[in-house]
Parts: sequence; C-alpha cells; structure tokens
Amino acid sequence: MFACRTPGLPTVSGVTEPALAVEARGMTKWYGETTALDAVDLLVRPGIIHGVLGPNGAGKTTLLAALFGLVTPEEGTLRLFGRSRAESGAGWLDGVGGFVETPRFYPYLTGRQNLSVLAGLDGGDAAGLVDGAIELVGLDAAASRKRVRGYSLGMRQRLGLAAAVLRRPRLLILDEPANGMDPAGIRDLRTALRQLARGGRTIILSSHDMGQVEEICDSVTVLHRGRVVFTGGLDVMRGDAPDGTWRLFTSDDEAALTEAGAADEVKAARRDEGGLTVHAAQDKLDAYVLALGRQGIAVRGLEPDVTALESLFFQLTRDAEAPAPEETP
Amino acid sequence: MTLAAGRWPAAVPPAGAAPQRSGTLVVYRMELAKLSRQIRVRTIAVCAVIGPFLVVAGFHVQNATPGDTAFGQWVHTSGFAIPMVILGFAAQWIIPGLTALVAGDIFSAEDHFGTWKTVLTRSRSRSQFFTGKFLAAVSYGLALAVILIVTDLLAGLLAGTQPVVALGGQLVPAGHAATLEVLSYASEIPPLLAFTAVGIMLSVLTRSSVAGIGGVIALTFVLQVVTLIDLPGWLQVALPSTPFLAWHGFWEQPAFCTAFWWGLVTSAAWFVVCGGVSWWVFRRRTIGVAA
Repeated sequence: MFACRTPGLPTVSGVTEPALAVEARGMTKWYGETTALDAVDLLVRPGIIHGVLGPNGAGKTTLLAALFGLVTPEEGTLRLFGRSRAESGAGWLDGVGGFVETPRFYPYLTGRQNLSVLAGLDGGDAAGLVDGAIELVGLDAAASRKRVRGYSLGMRQRLGLAAAVLRRPRLLILDEPANGMDPAGIRDLRTALRQLARGGRTIILSSHDMGQVEEICDSVTVLHRGRVVFTGGLDVMRGDAPDGTWRLFTSDDEAALTEAGAADEVKAARRDEGGLTVHAAQDKLDAYVLALGRQGIAVRGLEPDVTALESLFFQLTRDAEAPAPEETP
Repeated sequence: MTLAAGRWPAAVPPAGAAPQRSGTLVVYRMELAKLSRQIRVRTIAVCAVIGPFLVVAGFHVQNATPGDTAFGQWVHTSGFAIPMVILGFAAQWIIPGLTALVAGDIFSAEDHFGTWKTVLTRSRSRSQFFTGKFLAAVSYGLALAVILIVTDLLAGLLAGTQPVVALGGQLVPAGHAATLEVLSYASEIPPLLAFTAVGIMLSVLTRSSVAGIGGVIALTFVLQVVTLIDLPGWLQVALPSTPFLAWHGFWEQPAFCTAFWWGLVTSAAWFVVCGGVSWWVFRRRTIGVAA
C-alpha cells in the first residue's frame, strides 16, 4: 500500500475544509463494459501544480474531461472552488481554462478568428485579451494569416494555451500540454506554470513523462485502470519509492563490477552499449562511488537511468491487479 | 514563445468588466459568425440570389415551356408564372437540400472537428449551445426563404407583369398575383423548418455530417417516391413534404386554405418531435474522449 494523502489537506472529518480548487469524490464512469474511472477521488488545493499520471488507458483524460463536464460520471460528486454544476449552472466553469487531449479548433478559421469566436463565448472583456494571448504564446506571425488546418501540433498546443488565457483561469487543466512543443517551448511552459502556481493559480496537468512531473509538480495522482493507486505529495512518493537505477561509466568497468559485488546492497551489470547499470539506494550508491575512488577507479559519468519515482510509477502501474486505493481524506 | 506568467491576465476579471449577455444569444451570434464565414453558405446565398435570374434568362432564350408543371405553360405570357414554376421545383428538391446543408451539419461539424471539447469548456451550458445552434439553423432557413421570395419575385417581374392564369383557370390580376406569390412562398416556411429539425436530429443522433445532410436528401427522395403511391389520406397529411404543396390551394377557384392549415400542424409536429429528440439526446451525450 502506498500513501494516499494530499499534503496540507485537513483530515478531520466533520470540519469544513478550506476551499479546494478541485474536490472530486467517488467519481465512477463506465464506457460499456469498460470502467474508465473507478471511485476516483481528486482533491487539489489552490496554488499548487498537481500531476495526473498513468499509462495509456488509465483514465487520465476521462478524469480531466469530467472536471470540465464533458463526461458525466455515473457516480460521484465534483466541486470546483466549492461550486457544483447543479448549484452554479453555466457559470460553474468560470475561472477554469485548459484543454483535454490535443486542443481542437475550427480548421476553416485562422487562429485569431478561432480565439475571437471563443472570446465571444466567454463574454466580458475576453475579446480584448485576444491580441495579448496570441503574443503570449508566440503565434503572432501565423495567427492572422494562416487557417488552423495548416497548424502543426505544437502550434495547436500553443493556440490551446491562448484559448485558456482568455478564461483568466484560476484553475488550469492541461492534458499533456508539452506535446509537440520544441524544447525551448517546453522550458518556457514549465517556467510559466511554476510562476503561475506561485501566483496562486492552480494547475492540473496530465502526463506520462515522470521527469516533467518531478520537475514541476507539487503533488500527483497516479491512475491505473481507472483506479487511484497513489495520491499525495512528491515527497511522500519519494519516500515510498524503490531504489533507482543508474548508468555508471568508469575508467575500469571490470574492476568496478568486481567492487560492486563486494559492496553492500549494490547490484551492477554490464550494459551492452558500454558502462554499467547500477541498482542501489542513494546512500549505498554514495558509498559505492567513494569506494571506487579509493580503489583508483575514476568515475567518468553517473546519471539516472530510471529514477526512483519512475521505478515506483512502473511498480504501481505494472501489476495486473492494482491494489485497492486507500481511503482519501 | 515566452509565456511569462507576469504577462498572463489577472485571474479575476477587473471591476467594471462588461456584463455577461444571455448565453443562448452568445452562442447564437457565434454560430451566425461561423456560418457567415463558410464558403458553402456564401455559395448558397449567391446561387439563391442569381439563380432565379438565370432561370428567367433560360426561359427567355427558348420557346419550349415546362408544360407538365403548374404554371409552366404560362412562363412566356406572364412574369408571375416563373416564380411559381421555380417554387414548384424548389419545394420538392432544392429547399430541403439547401436546408440540410446547414441543419444536418451544425451539430455534427463539432464532432467532426473535435471542437465540442473546446467550446464546452467555456462557461456556457449545453442547453445554451443547443438552443443557440438550433436558432441559428432556423435563422438560416428563414433567411434562405426570404432571399428566395425576394429574388424569385424580382426575377419574375423582370419578365413581365401581365395577369396570370391560376390553377383554377381564372385570370389573376398583377396585384393579387403578387400577393398570392408571397403567400405561396411564405407557406413553404413551416415545412422548411420541419426539415431543418429533421436535419438537426440526424446531425445530433449520428454525429456525422454525411448522415445529417445525406439523410435529409435521401428522405426527400423517398418522400417523392412515396407520394406516387396511393397513400391513405391521413398518412399523406402526415408526411413532412406534403405541406410544400399547400400553396396550390391559394391559386384554386375558389381558393382554400385547408391544406395550408393541415400543413402547419404537420410541420409543427415534425419540428417539435425532431427538436425534442435532438434536445434529449444532446443533453445526455458524452463528449468523445479516449478513456
């Protein structure tokens, strides 16, 4: 069993919780015989970045779609900033922006025309935000002269972000937002999301890139076959994580392999492409590297092959029958 | 891309932001804006405007007359006959098809483009989307009817304003003929709206524009074939295509409106049933996402 605690949330029942950005409880959704969501709880505090992880078909997109009301769960309740859809009507999604799957637009319109259509739907001052949103996502050159049918995946992602900006979102829900983006765009996106969260906005993003999640998320929910197999802070997740796997390059791999055999709780094996694969907890790895130095074996490279969190993620989502999730507070 | 967080608009709308308009009106305006940018809709509008004049020109350069159609034998003797010949043909084939091009596509296009999950993430309810889109399709149908009324009559007037021989054999003077023609064209509006609702229903149910548009055209064809069969009277009245012929009564001697009133009831029934089914299905459907 793994920790299922969302950091910072009160655990005392009967006490009114502070306003949660997202409060989904017991969400269950079936597509025919397939259970897409199985009593999923998702509690997200304002001002954090929360990752939704899982392999393909785990239910990530269905969960995000449910947050937008695109799919209606058969069971469960959902509140965004304390408001339910039944209570707030069409204004339920006020302050919520983002996209599910690849952002889609009218292909016969330009990017700017698409944003104008959406701004018209948003009302208020959204129309006045279109130019700024286009500039913000770096689509200035294409937005007015190119129809969306000619956009690349990365450009559509950026247009999706621009469409979200028009919502003045307090809650950003992004499904694989870095898909199709170039490295500079991904870097900018990560930086912006961190800054937005520091500014008090809440961000929920789905990804199957554990590295990306490790870098920017404060907490995560891991789904497997529609069930929550972990939810909690990354620090909690790291505590539960098994040992990581490392790639080690030395001046004498043969001697390093022999040394690993003598080291405590260190497993090493040759890699076909050169170097060694080392499996060890962090403290054991440190001791092993120091021992190599004492033996006159130079360490030329040491890099994570599978991080501890990746190992945990694979462990959580590999089992044929995932463990039943613990009750979420 | 810079995406600098400092350049994002504030999360809370500033004081004094414009008040929200009715959600249905917002969706309606959005749909009209989208329709006005579609090449297909622009093409239909252009054809509706110039088509009648081309028909008049065609009659002018040939001696033969479409004698097997109502008013066909009088196209060279009265300009008022030409709009009625056009109406007789358009009501059976053209109007349902042109109606379907928008109604059969207005919902399913969002499925085709995958844009439901874009527009439904804004603060507008499904009811507002349904009503706004429905009204936009109806508005398109009404606009089409108005364009056809105006251009057909103008084209006919260019050909001449002589009195016309009506279906009852009586000679109808110009002023009265113009009135009857406007009424005849107006009588096409209820069945046009019924076919609009049929197209919308197919668009919602099938989520396919091919089925939405093609289904209406196929239905039109089937109904034309069915009318050749000696159907029971009640079934004939219940067909959505029958009201398209109600204008015949206006030109009889004596004139009668019974067919028009029955056509109104029939069209209303198709409109309400198809619209209701569409509403019921659309409100409950899941927007397609991969699990």
